[in-house]
Amino acid sequence: MALKPVTSPDTEAPTIQLTIDGQPVQTKAGVSLYDVISETGKIIPAMCYHYTFDPFGSCGMCLVMVEGKKAPVRSCTAKAEGGMQVRTEGDDLFQARKKAVEKHLTIHPLDCPVCDADGHCELQDMAFQHGVTNLVNAKPKGLPEDRRSLVLDFNMNRCILCGECINICKDVQMVDALQFFKKEGTTHVVAKGDEGLVCEFCGDCLAVCPVGAITNKYSKYIYKPWQLKKTTSTCAYCADGCQMSIETSGKAVQRVTSPLSWKNKWGDRAETAKGHGGLCVRGRFGFQYIDSKERLGMPLVRTEEGFVPRSWFEVMDAVVGQMKAIKTQHGPNAIAGLITARCTNEELYLFQKLMRAAIGTSQVDSSARYGHLNFTRALQHAAGVGRMMNGYEEITKANVLLLIGTDITETNPVASLRVKEAIRVYGAQVIVATSRLTNIAKLASHPLPIAAGSERWLIQALVKAAVEEDLVDEAATTATPEAFAALKAAVAGLSWEALTARTGVSREAAVEAVRLYAEAPKAVILCAEGVTRQIEGYASVLNLVDLAWVTGKLTRPGCGVNALPEEANEQGAVDMGVASELLPGQALYADEDARTKFATAWRCSLPPPDPSATLMEILKRCREGRIKALYLVGENPLATLPASTGVQEALEKVQLLICQDPFLTETGRLAHVVLPATTFAEKDGTFTNLEGKVNRVRPALEPYEEARPDWEIFAALGTALGYPMEYEAAQDVQREIMKLLPGYYNLGEPRPVTARPEGYLRDGYVREVAARYAANTDRTETDQAVRPFALTIGQVLYHSGKLSARASGLLQLYPSKGRLQMNPEDLAQLQLGPQDVVRVTSTRGSVELRTGPNHDLARGTCFFPDHFNEPPVKDLAECVVDPTTGVPAFKFTHVAIEKL
Amino acid sequence: MTEKTEEKSLLREVWDALSFSEIRTAMRVALKHMFVKPVTFQYPREKRTIPDAHRGALGLLRYDDGTERCVGCDLCEAACPSRCIKVVSAENPERPLSRYATEFYIDITKCVFCGYCVEACPVNALAMTKMYEYSTADKRQLIFDKKRLYEIGEKHIEDAKRYLYAHNQEKNDTESLQYRYKFPHQVAGLTPPQDS
Ligand code: SF4
Ligand code: SF4
Ligand code: SF4
Ligand code: SF4
Ligand code: SF4
Ligand code: FES
Repeated sequence: MALKPVTSPDTEAPTIQLTIDGQPVQTKAGVSLYDVISETGKIIPAMCYHYTFDPFGSCGMCLVMVEGKKAPVRSCTAKAEGGMQVRTEGDDLFQARKKAVEKHLTIHPLDCPVCDADGHCELQDMAFQHGVTNLVNAKPKGLPEDRRSLVLDFNMNRCILCGECINICKDVQMVDALQFFKKEGTTHVVAKGDEGLVCEFCGDCLAVCPVGAITNKYSKYIYKPWQLKKTTSTCAYCADGCQMSIETSGKAVQRVTSPLSWKNKWGDRAETAKGHGGLCVRGRFGFQYIDSKERLGMPLVRTEEGFVPRSWFEVMDAVVGQMKAIKTQHGPNAIAGLITARCTNEELYLFQKLMRAAIGTSQVDSSARYGHLNFTRALQHAAGVGRMMNGYEEITKANVLLLIGTDITETNPVASLRVKEAIRVYGAQVIVATSRLTNIAKLASHPLPIAAGSERWLIQALVKAAVEEDLVDEAATTATPEAFAALKAAVAGLSWEALTARTGVSREAAVEAVRLYAEAPKAVILCAEGVTRQIEGYASVLNLVDLAWVTGKLTRPGCGVNALPEEANEQGAVDMGVASELLPGQALYADEDARTKFATAWRCSLPPPDPSATLMEILKRCREGRIKALYLVGENPLATLPASTGVQEALEKVQLLICQDPFLTETGRLAHVVLPATTFAEKDGTFTNLEGKVNRVRPALEPYEEARPDWEIFAALGTALGYPMEYEAAQDVQREIMKLLPGYYNLGEPRPVTARPEGYLRDGYVREVAARYAANTDRTETDQAVRPFALTIGQVLYHSGKLSARASGLLQLYPSKGRLQMNPEDLAQLQLGPQDVVRVTSTRGSVELRTGPNHDLARGTCFFPDHFNEPPVKDLAECVVDPTTGVPAFKFTHVAIEKL
Repeated sequence: MTEKTEEKSLLREVWDALSFSEIRTAMRVALKHMFVKPVTFQYPREKRTIPDAHRGALGLLRYDDGTERCVGCDLCEAACPSRCIKVVSAENPERPLSRYATEFYIDITKCVFCGYCVEACPVNALAMTKMYEYSTADKRQLIFDKKRLYEIGEKHIEDAKRYLYAHNQEKNDTESLQYRYKFPHQVAGLTPPQDS
């Protein structure tokens, strides 16, 4: 059903009856007549209509005859009324529609042969369908092209003023960057203020523009739609799991398009709660790294003269020989492996199987260790759920959303659209606790400014407020009275003075926020890097679970606790058991039965859980010389971790460092062997997105030169090491996973999860809870005086990890500026101009760099994007390892800033 | 044939045989042909005049001012039934906002000389010429690239134009000599807009 009431699609409206072409039809009053007609399966032309936003009614194509009216009416803006008699076909309507097409064409340049929309243009289709062959007094507008924006060119000669671009930007993106603007007698679409467009560059306007008025600078003039091979795949940047079409010709990626398009204009408005089919700037414009000239085309071996290319055969032979030697001499635990969560599920599965079954080491880890494991382990521990509890639909339909420590519009842009839709369509109340004035905080009904890096205390304050104000759910708390009593005692130990001093949030503000949250029937908590990647991330997630539990939101449908993963397949990495403490399906490695089950299935004996080690411990053992061989797949710890962790020493110490990556990274330069891997665009497999939905990844290109998909390399290595891993295709691995984890491949459908906290609340909770709310101090008064600025190293919208820094398109939008972002007032106070260099000093050292203003930052805070290491600001941060999960926290520190 | 002639009398048959009448008839035909103009040609010394509508090798054309007509629209590739055309296009560095073909290939070994590509071309950049002599021992020479196609077009420009007139694709008059199809700006007689 394509319902499109202006207010909430959930609103009940009276049912009415009308006739369309003689057929009686039932619908809700107030719905767009066009939607009622298209529901019956009739498609009438419409050029300015798209189901994702309210009808606009400018193109004049959707004409129908309504009994009692003399002239045809525009069905998209007409509301369905009881008793209407509607006719959608007939020569008069055909002629009227043809007139509308002609009207558009008389001011159209008709330069189809050079137009990028040629062959994918609604105006062309309409002209063809209505047989428009002759135009009298055609007078094109003759306007110059607007090329002021970085990615999009606006050619207003071709614009039919349908307003789709403006509407999607305003209604779906809630960015509202575009407007109609009259200049010298013609209406243009321009960026607000008639300046160069500066927006989020999601490209959704480009996708819905039915003509060639908006064009993509990166692909302009280099293709015609019929020349391109379209491959549907899943974006490899973030965990939102957007579906995309990679369009290639030969060996080159020409453009990326989305399911959102003017062509897919018919749909159910209520369905956008599951996703609107669009992409963000990274997915749509960040494809250039795939066919980049910097790709590794051959295996490299380090010799005295530097790296020399060698054949796969030689290299694999050498690698296997050395691995075997190390294993015989030092035992399997002298070998460890790390893999990136940008690999497919099949590869992640195969990697841990290779390490465990073929090599016999339990020292494996993935980049989910940088934060997501704090969340999955905590939730698994407390509620038996190892991933986000709510999918897109539940986020969209929540009454209250509590966002803590997430800059969701930048890290997970398409997921943030669900929050935006919740605000705009469903009228949700949104509390955003953040130290920065993030984009989502600007849209929030209840922005809650907090001190930088104080998320963990804010969570404690919220729990304390809920308990003290008795905003608790009777049923939930009385079921386990001991647990509740323990929690009560724990929060009683916290003082409001200390909490307010740390967070900057008064008791009243905390109570207000928690009251809003507690009283909502459907309330969802979203957190991310500000919680999971910070000190005490694991405990903070458990505290969030407490908050949900006492307010009765842990087990209620439509409510839950969620943390947004960062990389594309972090959830998959956890599910595939690529963590030393987990087995596939998130079974505990320490669990004897689970180990036996997998050992039987893999026909091997699994190493004992004891000397297993997580990321930081692995690096430590490398430094100590206990680990002799380190196998890195797509991981680049040297560019990620602060120098103070001794990562360089660790990598230099190992006898055999193997780096498998599409590019030669900083870490790769230290390696003994570099194996060329493919990007996601050359792979078959699946990614698991943040909702737990398994999405297909399909190969759009042949592997670059000699590069191979990671799973092929693992299989070859395993077999050569004497453990047969014979897979012909990624599907063979998939079949094996299906057998071991029935129901995991839920292609396209998120599986609902139910929290089962009872066991935890009855047993163990009382023991743990006091420690979680212990008043911990990490920063003394003198500290504050010496290093008054809070430095956050974080993500920006235009990048994802270090990978996007290889995409020239994204670098054009957001280059490595090498500037520390600060509040303009702080800059003024320190008398810093754009050319001035400052020295930024932390407990770990200092770097010198220039500064730049960022109006969203609070005073006393500064920010540096974690995608770039020039200068190495990351080295300023202290690395604190979580005692339970081993997650290193290194994105936040305090610094002194002095002008040089 | 009538039954009469079939039932030649025995006498007649004998007479024909004795007088070598069949040989005489044959000789008569041979003698007659010695004095008429032959219908065959002594190729390659002699060549036949080729009609303007003839479909020979394809060439790419320029406007009289020397600019390439082709705007790289790829319609010829789309129209070609034997899929022997490949066009690679980009923005024209000399004339911003217009496209041109950076590479252009026609695999003439596959071409079936249907002329659809010429018909599809919106700017009449392609035409067929009267050239047909391009046999070679090296098959690679038969994949005409952009350079070769423009050479053919240059060498056979007159034939190419006549081909277009003969197929009613271009008129031999001043209006079409202005080549109003220089995309995109000449459509309305505009000067190309300046890059802002
Ligand atoms: S927008 Fe459509 S009709 Fe207009 S020039 Fe481009 S392809 Fe042709
Ligand atoms: S790219 Fe996205 S944010 Fe920018 S104008 Fe278009 S729709 Fe709006
Ligand atoms: S630019 Fe495209 S989408 Fe926007 S109003 Fe014009 S035709 Fe419509
Ligand atoms: S980066 Fe994330 S939000 Fe953007 S297109 Fe890719 S999956 Fe979607
Ligand atoms: S020859 Fe004509 S049809 Fe072919 S690409 Fe060039 S302009 Fe287009
Ligand atoms: S679709 Fe109704 S006026 Fe455009």
